[in-house]
Amino acid sequence: MAKAIRSRNLHKRFGDLHVLKGIDLEVEEGEVISVIGPSGSGKSTLARCLCKLEDIDEGEVYLYGNRIDDKRISNRELSGMVGMIFQQFNLFPHLTALQNVTLAPTKVKGLTREQSEEVGVRLLHRVGLGDKLNARPSQLSGGQQQRVAIARALAMEPKIMLFDEPTSALDPELVGEVLEVIAQLAHSGMTMIIITHEMLFAKDVSSRVIFMDEGIIVEEGPPYEIFVRPKQARTQLFLQRLLPHFGKTLVVE
Amino acid sequence: MLDFSAVLPYLHMFGVGTLITIRASIVAVLLGLAIGVVVGALRVLPFASPLRMLAAAYVYVIRGTPLLIQLFFIYFGLPSLGLNLPAFTSGVIGLGINSGGYVAEIVRGGIEAVPKGQWEAAKVLGLSYLQTMRYIILPQAIRNMLPAFGNEFVTLVKESSLLSTLAITELTMVGQQVRSVTYASFETFALVGLIYLLLTSVTSNALSWIEKRWQVR
Repeated sequence: MAKAIRSRNLHKRFGDLHVLKGIDLEVEEGEVISVIGPSGSGKSTLARCLCKLEDIDEGEVYLYGNRIDDKRISNRELSGMVGMIFQQFNLFPHLTALQNVTLAPTKVKGLTREQSEEVGVRLLHRVGLGDKLNARPSQLSGGQQQRVAIARALAMEPKIMLFDEPTSALDPELVGEVLEVIAQLAHSGMTMIIITHEMLFAKDVSSRVIFMDEGIIVEEGPPYEIFVRPKQARTQLFLQRLLPHFGKTLVVE
Repeated sequence: MLDFSAVLPYLHMFGVGTLITIRASIVAVLLGLAIGVVVGALRVLPFASPLRMLAAAYVYVIRGTPLLIQLFFIYFGLPSLGLNLPAFTSGVIGLGINSGGYVAEIVRGGIEAVPKGQWEAAKVLGLSYLQTMRYIILPQAIRNMLPAFGNEFVTLVKESSLLSTLAITELTMVGQQVRSVTYASFETFALVGLIYLLLTSVTSNALSWIEKRWQVR
């Protein structure tokens, strides 16, 4: 069985800026991976390369054995494999919550209106927005918008979900409701990569944590190993700087 | 002293001139929209191509030369190439081609003002370029474009007065004719100005109405 995600020697440059310097990544089906690391370490770029939002400069990316970093794969084929959640939600502001969810199933998968609405209503209920079907994005809080975005991505039934700092643009009191939905999804067996600064969440929800810095994977392992006994000096430094008190309680634990 | 009764016997002429101005404006607006939407869409093609360069050249030439010269070129210049167009046709085509260059820039600006994240979200959901354009980008872009369209159409109505230089008896031409008969210059052009004001007010109010409706949808 092919790995859900495999990248080999993945390089990405923006002009002179070498953002990803040879990423080798293998993700099994059902794994939930958190990617942590300082800003500018290439985490987001990695996620964007895995769903073809960025063309890569070198290396290979496979989803379920299909090479996706060349021209042959269409948006349509890709959408059945991988869904993406953005930091800024990127909901379609001129459509209602339900229309946001049903558009792609209708236009890309060819579902009838009734079928796609059934899917949309079910998914919006699942993310706790059954009463907001006809609300516009502008009438929703950030947390609600992000949950609509999750429902919208799920409507295409991707096998893999990527989360690019899903709670970074949210007010602190709205972070919980979004993390809850993501955690539910993680427990349902979905293959996921979550780029996050929510360390507690990453520790609780993921099966593996990857620490990235300056375009490389510095260290990876089970959450406990990374958060409690990081081997690399760079990982230790990052965690200490980010979570001085959190790090100590973890060590005591 | 001012004597508006001097122009009263010629009111029907103003009526005819106004109708010609309206007709020329409507046809030119439609022509300009058709050209502008196509050229504007070519301008935002995601890959470099001869079509995109052609569209850029079109906008460059149209915006860089006076409308009057463009009209003269079509009406007086093209016959040298064996293309003889009637005055009204020449005028409307000239106005439309000119407006198309400006509409293209409005279209391009409206499309480019839609955040990049909208394209990205649509792409990951599997929508094709054309589907993204149609269902995601254009509905938002048109909202961005409407105020600028209002400006452009009002400008076009006013610039249609240049058609008088091609001896088309639109409103401005009628004004000149009436003035040369009555010598009531002030009264004549005050009336002509008033009629233009009426036409531009109707145009911009119509656009505002459409703009509001589009916001609600």
